Amino acid sequence: MRSLGRWSVALAGLAVVSTASAIDFALPNRNGSVKFAVIGDFGSGESSDHEVAAQMAAFRARLPFEFVITTGDNIIGSQDDPADFAEKFERPFQTLLGAGVRFYAALGNHDKPSNRSYGPWHMDGRRYYTFAVHNVRFFALDSNRPDRAELAWVDEALRSSKEEWKICYFHHPLYSDGVKHGPSLELRVLLEPILVRHGVDVVFSGHDHVYHRLTPQQGISYFVTGAGGQDVRSLRRSAATVASFDRDHTFTAVEIAGADLFFQTVSRSGITVDTGVISKRGQGPPGGGR
Amino acid sequence: MTHHGAPPTAVDSPRHRGRVRATVTIVVDSFLLLPIGALVALVWANTAGVSYFRFAHGLRFIVNDIGMVFFVGLVTEEALEALMPGGVLHRWRRTLLPIVAAVGSVLGATSIYVLYLRERSEFMLVEGWPVAAAQDVALAYFIAKAIFLERRGPVGFLLVMAIVSDAIAIASIALWHPSNPEMLPVAVGLMAVAIFVAAALRAARVDRLWLYLVTSGTLSWIACYWSGIQPALALVPIVPFLPHRSRHVGLSAEAQRATPRRFEHVFKYAVQVVLLFYGLVNGGAVIAGEMPGAWAVLLAALVGRPAGILTAIGLGIAAGLRLPVRLHWRELIVVSLAASAGFTFALFFAASVIPAGPLLNELKLGAVSTAVSAVLAFAAARLLRVGRFARKPPGPGDDRPVPNSATAPA
Repeated sequence: MRSLGRWSVALAGLAVVSTASAIDFALPNRNGSVKFAVIGDFGSGESSDHEVAAQMAAFRARLPFEFVITTGDNIIGSQDDPADFAEKFERPFQTLLGAGVRFYAALGNHDKPSNRSYGPWHMDGRRYYTFAVHNVRFFALDSNRPDRAELAWVDEALRSSKEEWKICYFHHPLYSDGVKHGPSLELRVLLEPILVRHGVDVVFSGHDHVYHRLTPQQGISYFVTGAGGQDVRSLRRSAATVASFDRDHTFTAVEIAGADLFFQTVSRSGITVDTGVISKRGQGPPGGGR
Repeated sequence: MTHHGAPPTAVDSPRHRGRVRATVTIVVDSFLLLPIGALVALVWANTAGVSYFRFAHGLRFIVNDIGMVFFVGLVTEEALEALMPGGVLHRWRRTLLPIVAAVGSVLGATSIYVLYLRERSEFMLVEGWPVAAAQDVALAYFIAKAIFLERRGPVGFLLVMAIVSDAIAIASIALWHPSNPEMLPVAVGLMAVAIFVAAALRAARVDRLWLYLVTSGTLSWIACYWSGIQPALALVPIVPFLPHRSRHVGLSAEAQRATPRRFEHVFKYAVQVVLLFYGLVNGGAVIAGEMPGAWAVLLAALVGRPAGILTAIGLGIAAGLRLPVRLHWRELIVVSLAASAGFTFALFFAASVIPAGPLLNELKLGAVSTAVSAVLAFAAARLLRVGRFARKPPGPGDDRPVPNSATAPA
C-alpha cells in the first residue's frame, strides 16, 4: 500500500470563501465507488458548525456521498435535552440529513454514553459496531473504554471481515502531532497490534482539533480529522507528518474505487488543504490524482 | 559474607542488621513500595511511553486481577477486625460521628468530581466517580501519625473515616460497575456456592487457610471475573469466614505484632511485592494537555472531601452527636486534609471502573497527585498550631478519658 498526495496549505488562514462551484474538486467521482465524508469534534451549534456543514453540502453537489462517519465529540456542552441535539446537530446538518445522508458515529470524551441511542447517529445503542458498504467494511470503536470485551470483539470482527478495505474510526488518535493532546500511547499498545494483524488500511480519529495525516505506520494510514467545528488547536509537525492544517475547520471527503482510496480535505472556507490517494496496488495515483 | 572467626564487618554488624530491619519494617508498614513503583512508572511513561505501556499491559492481568486479590483480602480483614470487640468500629455509638464524616467525605468528593466534569463537558469520565471517594488508609494514617504523634483520637477518627469511605466505594464498584451483567445470574450462583463452601469449612473448624483460598477463593474469583466485577474483590465475601481473633485496629507495627492474623501473617510480604508491581503497572500516566480527569480527582480530594467531612461533622453535631474529647475544629481541619490522599485506593478504584486507555491515564495521574495532601495537612497543622506544632506538644494521655469518641485504642 502506498500513500501519495499533494496538499496545499499556502492559503491557510486567509479568509477566502469559495462558492460551491469554485471548490477545487480532486476526486474521480466514479460510478459504483464508495463515497463518504469524515468529520470529528463538532457539535457546538455555533457558526463554525453551520459553515462546515454548508461546505459539506456544497461538496456533495460534486461528490454525492451517501454517509458520514464521525470520529467523536459529536456534541459538546449541554446534551440533556432533545433541543440540544436539534440546535447542535440537526440544524447545522439539516441539508445533508434532508438529502438522506446517514451519519455513523463513534463517541468521544465529550459525548454522553447515552448518546449511542440517539437515532440519527445509527449506533443502535452500541458502543462499537461494524457495517459494510460494497467492498469496504467500517469499524466504529469506543476509544474511551477499550475494555477486554471490545478488544476481543474488534479482533474477531476484523478477522472475519472479507471485504477488500478495512477502515477503523474512533476518537483518540494513536498517532498525532496535536499540541493539546497528542497520541494516546496506551491505546496504541492495546489496539495497534490488532489493527496490524488484520490488515486494517486506514484509521480516522479526532480529539486533537486539527487536520493531520501521517506517513503509514506499520502499513496503516492514519488521519486526525478533529477540526470539525470546535475551537481549532495548534499542531507541531513531526517527521512522520505528511500533511497538516491547523488554521481553520475542515472535513474530509473519501472515495473508494476498487483498489484506490481517494481523499480530499476541505476547509470551512472551501480551500482544499490536502488531497491524495492510497492505493492497495502499490502504484501511484491513477490519473495523477492531485 | 564473612568467614567463621573473622571479626564482624560494618555490613553484618548487629547495628547494621538492626538498621536494615528497621528500614524494611518502615517500608513494609508504610506500604512504601507502591509509591516507589508508581514514581518509577511515572518517569518511565513520560520518557519511553510505548515500552512502559507494553510492560504494563503484559503484567496488568496477573497483578491487578490476581495479585491484588490478596491486598484487598488483607484490607478486608483489617476492616472486619475493626468491627470486632476491641476494634474502632465495634462500639458504633462511639464511631457514629466519623461514620457520618465518611459519608460526608464521599458525598463532598464525588459531588465536586461530577460537577467539575459536567462543567467541562467531560461526560465519559463521570462514571469514574468512585475514584474520588477513595481514601488511602495507610497514607492517611501515617500523615496523621506524623502530625498528631501519640494522640490516638484524631488518628482513630481518621482510620474509621477512611475504612468506611473505601467500603462505600468498593460496594459501589461491585454493584454498579459489572461490565458483563448478562452473566450476573450465573455469577451470583457461583458466588453462593463459594460462600457456602467457606461457611462449611468454618463450621467444620478447618484451620488451613489455603483450603479456603483454593476452594472458595477460586470460585469467588471466577464469579467476579465472569460478571465483570473487579476480580481483585474476590476475597471480600470469603474473608469473614476465615478464622479471626479480635484485635485493636491500627496499622502500627506494635499493634500488628500484638495480635497477628493468619491472612496477614501469610501474605504480608507477598502483598508488598504485589504492591510494588501494582505501582509499576498502574502508576504510569503520560502528562499531556489539560487532563481534566486528573484535575477532577485532585479537586475532589483537596476541596470536596475536606468540605464534605467538615459539613457532615457540623450537621452531626447539630443533630446531637458529640465530638471526641479534645478534638476541636482546628484538629478536624487537619484531619480532613490528611484524609485527602487517595493514592493506592484511588489507583485501585480507577483501574477497577475504567479500562486501560486515555481516560484511565487522566484518573491515574489524579490519583497519584493526591499525595500532595500530605504537604497541605502539614502546612495546615503548622498554621493552626495543631499536633506536633502545638505550643504544648501532645502526649499519649491527651485523649483520656475519651467517652463518646472514636479513638484507636491500643
